[in-house]
Parts: sequence; structure tokens; C-alpha cells
Amino acid sequence: MSRERRRTRLPLVAPSVPETPEVTVGAPPAPPKRESSKEAPPFLLDFFPLESEAGTRLSRFFDRLREGRLSTTRCPKDDLLHWPPRTACPRCHTEDLEWVDLPDRGRLYAFSAVLVGAPLGMEDDLPFAVGLVDLDGTPLRLFGRVEGRPWNELEIGTTVRVESYEIADGRVFYRFRVAG
Amino acid sequence: MTVRGVALVGGATTKFGVRAMTWTELAQEVGVALFRAVPELRSEDVDSLFVGAAMPERLAFQSHVAPLAAEHLGIRPTRVIQRTELACASGQSAIRSAYAAIAAGLSDVAIAVGIEKMNLPSMAEANTAMACVMDRAWDGPGGATAPSFFAMVAQRHMLEFGTTEEQLAAVSEKNHRFANSNPNAQFHEKTFARDKLLRLPVVAPPLRLGDCSAMTDGAAAVVLVSEERAAQFPGSHAWVRGTGQYSDFHNLANAGSLTDWVGLRRAATEALGRAKIGVHDLDFAEVHDCFTISEIVEYEALGLCGPGEGGRFVEEGRSDLGGDVVVNPRGGLLGCGHPLGATGVAQAVEVHDQFAGKVPAARQVPDPEWALVHNLSGSANVHSVMVYQRGGAS
Repeated sequence: MSRERRRTRLPLVAPSVPETPEVTVGAPPAPPKRESSKEAPPFLLDFFPLESEAGTRLSRFFDRLREGRLSTTRCPKDDLLHWPPRTACPRCHTEDLEWVDLPDRGRLYAFSAVLVGAPLGMEDDLPFAVGLVDLDGTPLRLFGRVEGRPWNELEIGTTVRVESYEIADGRVFYRFRVAG
Repeated sequence: MTVRGVALVGGATTKFGVRAMTWTELAQEVGVALFRAVPELRSEDVDSLFVGAAMPERLAFQSHVAPLAAEHLGIRPTRVIQRTELACASGQSAIRSAYAAIAAGLSDVAIAVGIEKMNLPSMAEANTAMACVMDRAWDGPGGATAPSFFAMVAQRHMLEFGTTEEQLAAVSEKNHRFANSNPNAQFHEKTFARDKLLRLPVVAPPLRLGDCSAMTDGAAAVVLVSEERAAQFPGSHAWVRGTGQYSDFHNLANAGSLTDWVGLRRAATEALGRAKIGVHDLDFAEVHDCFTISEIVEYEALGLCGPGEGGRFVEEGRSDLGGDVVVNPRGGLLGCGHPLGATGVAQAVEVHDQFAGKVPAARQVPDPEWALVHNLSGSANVHSVMVYQRGGAS
């Protein structure tokens, strides 16, 4: 299955200080915004999540990602940074969480590559590198696609930047790119 | 509540491999094999059925599989009927659930069956189903697959401890050699010398084809009974003496150390503690070698060797026949294939048949008394362990 993808690199701004906490995920849902489905595969064969308010209470994450900001939730009570972003703190179970921006740089902790056996929708991407990245200045180690250098030229410790990109139907996700 | 003794009194598997048949046909084939292997079993005595099936919705387009299996096995459960799903450990989950039901007095005679049909007309669809085991929405878009995750485990193990590709190949060679004496193994007739393994194509660096278990169709079934009913079945039984499970993460970001599987340490400590034995009392172990590196990390987490010593442990033959403890005499997931729901049940069949002295000499562990079965599921998110002791009717 081939799927045309428009890949746009968006500028990423990573503030050094987390922004003012704001309570969002506990708020009542806003009126649904229609999700475009013109080029999306059937929902049950699609790894990319629903991103709008009609499909998720974490639409804020994707709105920010669209602006080039990788963010996540934090529990102020437990001083706990979550990954992935949550609607409730898994430690204290409060729904009163705040959003914080994450740094846009990190280092490869481990990596490999998918050379065969890609899931539907990813066959045209083969081969592609994947890795676990220690995000600078955080306890988070995020998994994701690694672009910008062939897998056999990567090294543990390689510095990567976080970037957001858009898929054909307009949804966004994050990935890593070897820092130039 | 009184806890009763539970004996696994027999079992059987289908041939594992690329099978020209459906999910329900696998269920029927394993039913035939089970009732032949345990001739004392009467279908009207079976009061409960536990069906281990990881993803029949995805792979066979079928839900509600427990009553479907019951109908095809020809049994009408009156106490408990359910499916158990725990990805790659769905089969052991079926056995654990049967054990718990019998120990609690809810069931007297139960069948635990594991069934998976994984070879589809489109293998891309099967790969997609497999990738859903990961955190689909957050790890999925990045292309998280089982081979690439376990490849990162191997990379870290190589970095931290100097483990080599040759040591990975030693696991594969051993398990494939055992599979050569298991006619139901997917790779029963294929030989894999270490130098050949090192020339196979790379799937997810540093893992090659021979480091990865296959996509497999297969089914396995066992009969578990209460201590009061065990005398009805002659021969050696495998008595459940201990169980343990531990789950500490799902999203890959929360894996912690890739090379020290704390969850397995905890699950094994729990299971061995309940059995009141130590790891060095084990005569053999059936562990989850979904990838060669998994078996190496498992030696260490089980305490069969020290941290970082797993590569040398296999290279020196200490997990082979004649070594400290025989690991995966059935042929492992590497040699037998890995039909997700069936694997854990097939491992238990091996334990029973090893205790009964019913396996071919080339893989028979001499006079075994204690065995451990381990399954991991997903990206080693959960570890499930059971400990069995050989015994007679009581």
C-alpha cells in the first residue's frame, strides 16, 4: 500500500523554563472538530492516533506539536513528568495536570532499524532507523523514528533534534533527526 | 480458602509451522491430539475451558473464541469458560487461570488450550497486528516492532557486557538443534550451524533472521486436574508448585534498563519462593526465546548466571544438555516457531512429557524433577513464571 506523504519540517522552539502551568485535561470537552479522513487508512489499520478534540482529550499535545513544540503532561502534586501525556496522573490519580514543553534535543541511548516486516502504511519507508532518545535535562527516554543519517552510520550518544512532521491527511507526529 | 494441589496430567500440540488451515481447524486438530494423548480424559468430565489466544480478532477476524473452541473440542463447560489474552504469554495465562480456578475449588478438571493462526494471505497485515502489541498510538507511529525493540536490547547488552553475535548464534544453534528432535517444531528438519546463522540476512541490526522466532500457526492443549482427581490419570504428572507474574511498564519510554529485566527477577523469585526451591534446583527451564538475546538476558534475570554473563553461559554449553541446567529442550520459540497463544501451553506440554520420559533421547533431560516455564509478553512488559515438580497421582 503506497501512501503519498507530505513531510513538512516545522520550526521547533524549546523554552528552557517550563511555561506557566495550566489546568487543561480536566476541563469539559469542547465541541467536536471534524477529523479529515480523506487519505487516512481504515482506523483499525492506522497507527497514527486521532488528534482532534473529537477523538482525544490530549488534542493539546497535537496542537502544540503542530506549532513545533513537543510537550507532555506533568503532575504538579507529585512533581512527576509523564510520558506519554496522560489525562490522569498514574501515581495520585488527579486529573488536574499541567502541560509543559520538552527540550528539542537528546542523545541516542540505543537504536536499531526496521529492514523488513514493516506494518501496513510503512512499507515504503523501509529501511528506517528507530531509537530510544534521552531527552536533554529530563528523565524521559522517548522512542521514535530517527532520520537524517543511514542506520549503519548512527552511534550510541549521537545528538538528535526533535522535529514534528505532517502526514498526508494533516495529522502530525514527532520524530528525531540527527543534528547537523 | 483452602488451596488444593493442581496437577497437569497430559497434553499435546499440533504440528507448528505454516499450516494450510484455519483457526478453528487448528482447534480441532489439537483436540484430536489431546484426547489421544490423554485417553483417560472424558469430554463430559471437563468442567472448564481456558483459551489462550493473543489476537484472533486481528489474525482470524474472530472474537468470542472460547465457546467457539469449546464447540470444536466437543466440550460443554459448566464451571468456567473464558479466553485469556496476554500477547505472547496468552497460553501461560490460560494455564495460570485454570490452575487458580482448580486451586480455589471452582473447577476440578480443566483444559487450557492455546491457538494462534499467524500466517495470512497478507503478511503485512500480520505484521500490523503484531505491532499493535506495542503502545499503538505513541510508539506505533515511530514504527516500533518486536525485532527492533529486542535489537536495542541486544545492542545495549553488547555495549555494556561485550556480548557477541557469536554468542547470540550459540542460543539459536542450541535451540534449533533441540528442535531437530521435535517433530512438531516448525524448523524440525532445518539445521543451523553457527557459521550459517552468522551469514543470514539482518532483520533488525544486530539481529539476523536466525535470532528471531517465526510467525507460526499452531495449537497446544493441556489437562489440569485437582489433587482429588489426579489418581484417575496414570503416569507422571507435572504438579504446579509455584507461579509469579510481574508487570511494570508498557510504553517503551518506561522500560528502564533494557538489559536487567527486573520484572523477571521478581516473577521468578515469587514462583520459586512458592515452590520453596532455588533456581539451582531446576533440572530444566522452558524460557521465552522470542529472540536469541531474550534467552541471554533471561539466564541473568533468573540468576542462572551473573549480570552480563549470559553470553558466556550459553557459549560454554552451560544451558545445554550436560550443562548446569538445560534451557529450552523443546527447541524454544526459535526452533518450534511462536504461535503466540500456543507457545506457553506447548512449553507446559514439554514439561509434562520430559517428566514422563516421553520425548526423544536427543532432547531428554536425565531424570528431571523440577522445571520452570517463563513467558514474556510484548516488549518484555510482563514476565510470567510457573514452576512444576514431577510427581505421581498424589
